[in-house]
Amino acid sequence: MSGTAGEARAQLLELGANRPTVEVLDAGSGAPLLFLHGAGGVPAWEGALPLLARAFHVYAPLLPGFGRSTGIDFLEDQLDLILHQFDVVEALGLERPYVLGESMGGWIAAEMAALRPQEIGRLALAAPVGLWRDEAPVADMFGAMTHELVPYLFHDQSCPAAQRMLGYNQLVSDKDDRSEEQVEFLISLARGMRTAAKFLFPVPEGGLERRLWRITAPTLIVWGANDRFVPPLYADLFAARIPRSEVTKIPAAGHLLGLERPGPYADAVIRFGRRER
Amino acid sequence: MKFTWFHLMPYRYLPSDFRERYHGVWVDVPNRLYDPVLGHGLYNEYLDMLEYAGEVGFDALGVNEHHQNAYGMMPSPNIMAAALCRRSTEAMLLVLGNSIVLYNPPTRVAEEFAMLDVISGGRLIAGFPVGTSMDINYCYGQNPATVRDKYREGHDLIIKAWQEREPFAWNGKYTKLRYVNLWPQPIQKPHPPIWIPGLGSIETWDFCIDHAYNYSYLSFSGYKRAQKMLDGYWEHVAARGAEANPYSAAFFQQVCISDTDAACEREWWPHVDYFFNKCLHLYPGMAEAPGYRTEASLRAGVVAQVGNTTGNMGMNKTWKELVEQRYIVAGSPETVRQQLEELARSLRVGHLLLGLHLGSAPSDLVNHATALCATKVMPHLRPIWSEWEDRWWPRALPAQKRAVPGGTAAAEARANRSGNGQEARP
Repeated sequence: MSGTAGEARAQLLELGANRPTVEVLDAGSGAPLLFLHGAGGVPAWEGALPLLARAFHVYAPLLPGFGRSTGIDFLEDQLDLILHQFDVVEALGLERPYVLGESMGGWIAAEMAALRPQEIGRLALAAPVGLWRDEAPVADMFGAMTHELVPYLFHDQSCPAAQRMLGYNQLVSDKDDRSEEQVEFLISLARGMRTAAKFLFPVPEGGLERRLWRITAPTLIVWGANDRFVPPLYADLFAARIPRSEVTKIPAAGHLLGLERPGPYADAVIRFGRRER
Repeated sequence: MKFTWFHLMPYRYLPSDFRERYHGVWVDVPNRLYDPVLGHGLYNEYLDMLEYAGEVGFDALGVNEHHQNAYGMMPSPNIMAAALCRRSTEAMLLVLGNSIVLYNPPTRVAEEFAMLDVISGGRLIAGFPVGTSMDINYCYGQNPATVRDKYREGHDLIIKAWQEREPFAWNGKYTKLRYVNLWPQPIQKPHPPIWIPGLGSIETWDFCIDHAYNYSYLSFSGYKRAQKMLDGYWEHVAARGAEANPYSAAFFQQVCISDTDAACEREWWPHVDYFFNKCLHLYPGMAEAPGYRTEASLRAGVVAQVGNTTGNMGMNKTWKELVEQRYIVAGSPETVRQQLEELARSLRVGHLLLGLHLGSAPSDLVNHATALCATKVMPHLRPIWSEWEDRWWPRALPAQKRAVPGGTAAAEARANRSGNGQEARP
């Protein structure tokens, strides 16, 4: 089965009985880049993704609950989730790929690199969750309405992606005036957030900090300088714990780097990916 | 019909600008608004209201569980039921209920309910709510994606623990216990009647039908707005081939009673206003954690439930609107009697849970309403559904087998002390 999402191809990977079915978007050619999305999924092939696909063959597998991926009930806990992502890498035939993870996907990427260090060639973590400091709490994505998160997710709330998200508020009303497409969209948001909640509710921290020292891949930690969702002090924490790591902060950028500042963000990821070891 | 006097136990002293200054009454409402000395007065006053209801003939006294909530000050309803059952010796105790996913292990619920059943001589009705998302997810940190699975497992463990007569091992997904061996056991066999509060999910209907439990629809929006939901329930009961026994359903209705309709508005409006416009000031961002409702329920209710905020909950409405739309049943005993009869027949419920205290209402007003209800309303309604057997009611010990609380030595000592003119200890 295949289709397209904008400029990307789409395929469904059947992993076998009692295992999830995974929708994988891919575009570009050359060296592989495994892209692990955040709690918003990949609703469109936009932002940094087409830019990255000019330099790499980008594979974006969707977690169960996102897009057409199903089977969240087969992933009971964090270990199931991380092993599942390795199953996807294997099913795609990728060897020691460059892995880029954003926010929730950054946490998953870091866990993968800590669990099986020799199987991750290179790592880029874009404002990952997964650590916690009481003095700088990560924003609560599960206890707010989507449009209320906009000031936390974007530095410039007038940018098109921020405006689009603010518009979600109009879908949430007492009036029975939504189109079928809008209802399906709301349900798809809820389904994706359920997956995120399964692994990250109520506090997005599950021991990653104890494991970060295991990561051997060269690691780029990239952060929006004005991220109010996961404050930039976490960039330095990740850098202090991951042995071969460096930090790039993108000026005038919030949490959703790929949507707000696709150019400089994609440049940083591409440059790091092409660098000699 | 049977009547339960049901208390929410709201905090009465929220500031007048509460709605403007705070984004909700629940979860993160700062506890600096709570004064424990005032709380001492409230708990005792509210328990007195319940005891009075038991004295004047209500069939059961009802309490429930909420956390970090200014309109429901009963994080532990079992403590309230324990306080009641030694002084209120006739009425049944409806604890609606314990959110079983919050207790680790869930056998804690089996133990405490068994204690209440034993202390009260078999007068307990055991409620097993999943719990609201505010309570179980936001306040108690339960994972919304797995909480229903955990609920079912906890339920199965409790039911088994109540019935087994030998220690057993429990290897569940959420609870692992090498030795389950409940002391004490409930008096009622095989266990106290079980009522399940729900908000209209089909999964909950099926759960009640599968286990022959009472389905209790708890709403603050009144019986007119519940019609569609209860119609759906009874249609589902029929489709499943289950018995359409009215006693298998309960409904919560808030009720204000005064001597006349005009007096009712005058006496009750400030307290009704306090309830709907302060107590129900809920923050929609925490109405429902992602995954709390199944996708099927979400799909069925997406129109009604997503963004179910101020409009549906009765905020910003006048007394006339609240009364006409039956958010509240309010008026003279005659008016209330007519409307409750309409409620019982249209919703087909045998158990009526009456919220006779609202918002900031004081004791004298509430007790007067309680007395009017017991003497001028309930006697007229009792015969409704008399042709049906109520299989969801406690089978308490007969009177001659029941202990008499507060017996001998302590009572004598108390009498001596007051005879000696001794003051309370400092």
